[in-house]
Amino acid sequence: MKNKNMGKIIMFLLPVVVLYGLFFIYPLGFVFVTSFTKWHGLGDMEFIAFSNFIKLFSDPVFLLSLRNNLIWALVLGFVQVPLACGMAMLLSRRPKGWKFFRTVYFLPNVISQVALAMMWLAIYNADHGILNSLISLFTEEQFTFSWLGANNTALQAVIIQQLFYIGYFMVVILASRVGIPASYYEAAELDGANIWQQEVFITIPMLKPILVTTITLAMAYGMRHFESTYLMTGGGPNHATSVMGILLYTKLEARKYGMGSAIGATLIVFGGAMIAFIRHFLNRKQLDL
Amino acid sequence: MIKNKITMIDIIAKIGKWIFIIFFLLMTTLPIVWLIITSFKTNFEYETMPFSFPKVWQFINYKKAFKMSGLLQLFIHSVIVALCTTIINLIISSMAAFVLSREKFKGNEIILNILLAGVLIPIIALMVPYLKIIVNLGIYNSLFGLIITYTSINIPISVFLIHGFMKSLPKELEEAAVMDGCTFTQRFTKIVFPLTKPGLVTAGTLVFIYCWNEFTYAMLLTNSASARTLQLGIQFFKSQFVVDYVSMLAAIVISMLPTIIVYIFLHDKIISGITCGAVKG
Repeated sequence: MKNKNMGKIIMFLLPVVVLYGLFFIYPLGFVFVTSFTKWHGLGDMEFIAFSNFIKLFSDPVFLLSLRNNLIWALVLGFVQVPLACGMAMLLSRRPKGWKFFRTVYFLPNVISQVALAMMWLAIYNADHGILNSLISLFTEEQFTFSWLGANNTALQAVIIQQLFYIGYFMVVILASRVGIPASYYEAAELDGANIWQQEVFITIPMLKPILVTTITLAMAYGMRHFESTYLMTGGGPNHATSVMGILLYTKLEARKYGMGSAIGATLIVFGGAMIAFIRHFLNRKQLDL
Repeated sequence: MIKNKITMIDIIAKIGKWIFIIFFLLMTTLPIVWLIITSFKTNFEYETMPFSFPKVWQFINYKKAFKMSGLLQLFIHSVIVALCTTIINLIISSMAAFVLSREKFKGNEIILNILLAGVLIPIIALMVPYLKIIVNLGIYNSLFGLIITYTSINIPISVFLIHGFMKSLPKELEEAAVMDGCTFTQRFTKIVFPLTKPGLVTAGTLVFIYCWNEFTYAMLLTNSASARTLQLGIQFFKSQFVVDYVSMLAAIVISMLPTIIVYIFLHDKIISGITCGAVKG
């Protein structure tokens, strides 16, 4: 099959193909190739086989970062998405003002992580943060606890900052919920099913595909998590909130490019493997109808 | 008895429902409301009365924010980067989407699928090659470096949205135009591109918001004020405003305004774009 406009077609595709090659395909190859090298940016790369990976997986800070990424992925996938799904199910019954709520819940998604992080730094601030001021209303002495500075609360604090921003997944699930034919619910109602039964036996099974998609997405986001933690704690204290992205950035700043690429490659492989595994696992597990 | 029991459960469920709704409403809006109110306070009020309204609304904080931090320059940089990226991205993405949705040729589907698969790649993992590419192209620490990077990063989502929209356009119009002697390029510029306007608005809005809010690569690919964008600038406010915290908050409010304004006017477009992106992906 030969298209007589082939010349024009190539011309129209060229800019996108060139940029995509330069910023997606080449970098992917680059990351995997340089992850097997020692390279400081200038001069030649030295091929060192798996040394970077061996070093990484025996580095407690990297293992901690990887663990934190997994925690992020699990919390986003199995706490944030269910919360978003619950909210979508509520709003789909169109309570008063549901459109307003939908719009407001999504609002944080258009605000930069920088601004959000600044707000939450003010909330968590030890000396005159809002959270401590609130607690101080109920205590005799001024309560001054550094939520982001303590080893045992920092990770929870940075996760909570993101956890309740359910808007993104909520609008996606809500759109899918609205697509379920109303006749299903009418039929169930005629059969005497109450609202709870309708939600459990119609809504959730019908939403399964979108739930698989959103859980997968959420877990992928957990693996790539970087900005809000970098902005609030920089990975501290004592790497308690570190994630792979932050470690990658610090290696880059130290000009350990080979090591940085090894982290990037690990991030890509783990993220991809996780997506494949979760999709396989969730799709196999049948929900009873 | 039984009837009473059911109504009790109903009431509890209803209360629970509204607690759930209001809780999330407060979690999403209170920090923003607090930020805006506090940005009008004095520093003394900020430190001593975190929950009060300002006695006198200090509009001067906003004046100070502009004076102290070079906010205007940062703002202009962000506008340039976001607008140029959006325009370039929309033009090249719609050119590709036009060909991919309209023309039959070998490799059509493969190219489309490869382009769309880009959304699966964690861009954050590509810091090392992006830095190398931008340095090697000689556009490190320049607005152009950011523009070309953001334009490329947003290709998959834009092509996806615009391609989906173009596919839904009827082909008859074009066929009639070809009969009247319309060339290949004119089919794009005179017919398909104008008709795709709603899809372009959705994609463009998402790209604009992405650019305005992007932080990581703005940090990685620049190293001086000459190419610094607003989000990065805010990071430096912390050291600039050590004594004048409320002015820093005012600067942050200013940085949020453009996307919030865009959102107020185009939230339906944004939500529909997000939705069809995820539902089909």
